[in-house]
Amino acid sequence: MVSRRRVVARRVIVLGVVLLQLGFIARGYTADHKEFAFQMFPESSTWRADVVRVTAGGRRVPVEIPWDGYSWDRLVTDRGLSYPSFRHHADAGLDNQLAFLRSALDWVAQNTPRDHATRYLEARVTAWHNDDPPRVEVFRSRLRDVAG
Amino acid sequence: MSAPAATAPLRAPGVVARLDELLGREVSLRALALLRVLIGPIVLLHLAPFLSDSLHGRTYQDVFHEPYASWYPELPEGAYIGVLWLGAAAAVAMSLGALARLGTLTRVATVTTFAVVAYNLFLSTTHVHNNRAYLVIVLGILAMAPVAQAGPAWPLWLLRFECAAVYGASGLSKLLDPDWFGGTVTWQRVLHARADLHPLPDWAVSVLTDRDFHTWAAKAIILTELFIALGLWSRRTRYAAVWVAAVFHVTIEASASVQVFSFLGICVLLIWAVPSTRDRVLRVDPGAALWRVVRALDWMARFRLEPAPPGATVELVDRDGTTLRGRPAVAFALSRLPLTAWFALPTLLLPAVRRARAA
Repeated sequence: MVSRRRVVARRVIVLGVVLLQLGFIARGYTADHKEFAFQMFPESSTWRADVVRVTAGGRRVPVEIPWDGYSWDRLVTDRGLSYPSFRHHADAGLDNQLAFLRSALDWVAQNTPRDHATRYLEARVTAWHNDDPPRVEVFRSRLRDVAG
Repeated sequence: MSAPAATAPLRAPGVVARLDELLGREVSLRALALLRVLIGPIVLLHLAPFLSDSLHGRTYQDVFHEPYASWYPELPEGAYIGVLWLGAAAAVAMSLGALARLGTLTRVATVTTFAVVAYNLFLSTTHVHNNRAYLVIVLGILAMAPVAQAGPAWPLWLLRFECAAVYGASGLSKLLDPDWFGGTVTWQRVLHARADLHPLPDWAVSVLTDRDFHTWAAKAIILTELFIALGLWSRRTRYAAVWVAAVFHVTIEASASVQVFSFLGICVLLIWAVPSTRDRVLRVDPGAALWRVVRALDWMARFRLEPAPPGATVELVDRDGTTLRGRPAVAFALSRLPLTAWFALPTLLLPAVRRARAA
């Protein structure tokens, strides 16, 4: 005979997993990152971006040009972000793709300590949601401390 | 809690009692054992890019990544690489342990594999893809499930729910999206990838780039996903759903980069087999090829093989007592073996086989 504790544990595990899964599926309709929502091939949307470093002196330098021993395509290797100037498919949806781009700008800004010139990174994004007309947005990383 | 109270049957009325009976019913867990054997190589395939990077001195820490939470523990690079290799070794041990029926080794290896794959997945938002999320779910349920030939049914039900949820969630999200349902998404994808269509004949390119074709193709795709999600639950439609799911995965694998999703998706379909063993009798001449095929490929223990006299007609007794002889019996037997099922299932629709099964 199975103990009551085990029977209750079974119920809790099964119902917990089922409810959690249903919650993740529902969350996928509003979240940028749709973990465990299993929305596969959600859009045909595409995007491209001109990403530049904006220096303290106001110069705008494309990230395709290596700087201080860094290069964008070696710093940002995942999620289709390595070559932003080329038009790409947003394979997990546009919101997801652009959320990753915004995070990548911040990450690069914070993880390039040899760079003493860049004030922030900026991406001018052109995005095509499915067959809608293009939409242009500008994202900026957090400001860097360039003193010294 | 006193001992008698601890072992007393749960007095829960109605739905709860039925749920407890369903979750606790003793069933064959052979499908889970086979899944452990097959998931090991899939985990290796999943970990391969991480391990390859580590061999070149790179980890996620050297490139853009985005932790989910600041409190999530991050290991020093050397320790992280060690954990990845531990996961790979555990995956191999899980497969071999399940193959050799070494209970303790299999259990420890499954839990370790799950822990490593899940830890690595949640290190960064950039690590998460649908196929990896599905892999973590499957490993998590396998880690919780008993390592035995038989046990309570709840892990099977949970895996079945997750399996159906993957297809159902995907189909539902497309159904609710007017661009998907109307064909815009697939049409645009094909137009953007038009350069890749050059190996196809002109008429095929013409069809694939035709807007009207996608108006219907999109609905067929959505219907396929929803049919798999729902069809798996009924015994009347289950084999059709499994067959369609296999085609669906092969098509996806051929047309898109989905990492381990296709292999994982097809392997998990095993859990839809009725969880009982040796409940069909197959009488075959031991000298016949079918005898050797069934002995080698009956991984789910569908059949109790009984020797028939040399040259005797193949005879199969199904669970319900229905007896098939000759070619219908061969077709039916092959349709219940994992490796031959996809090819043999359509033959069950042949009039001769249908007549034999109905007789």
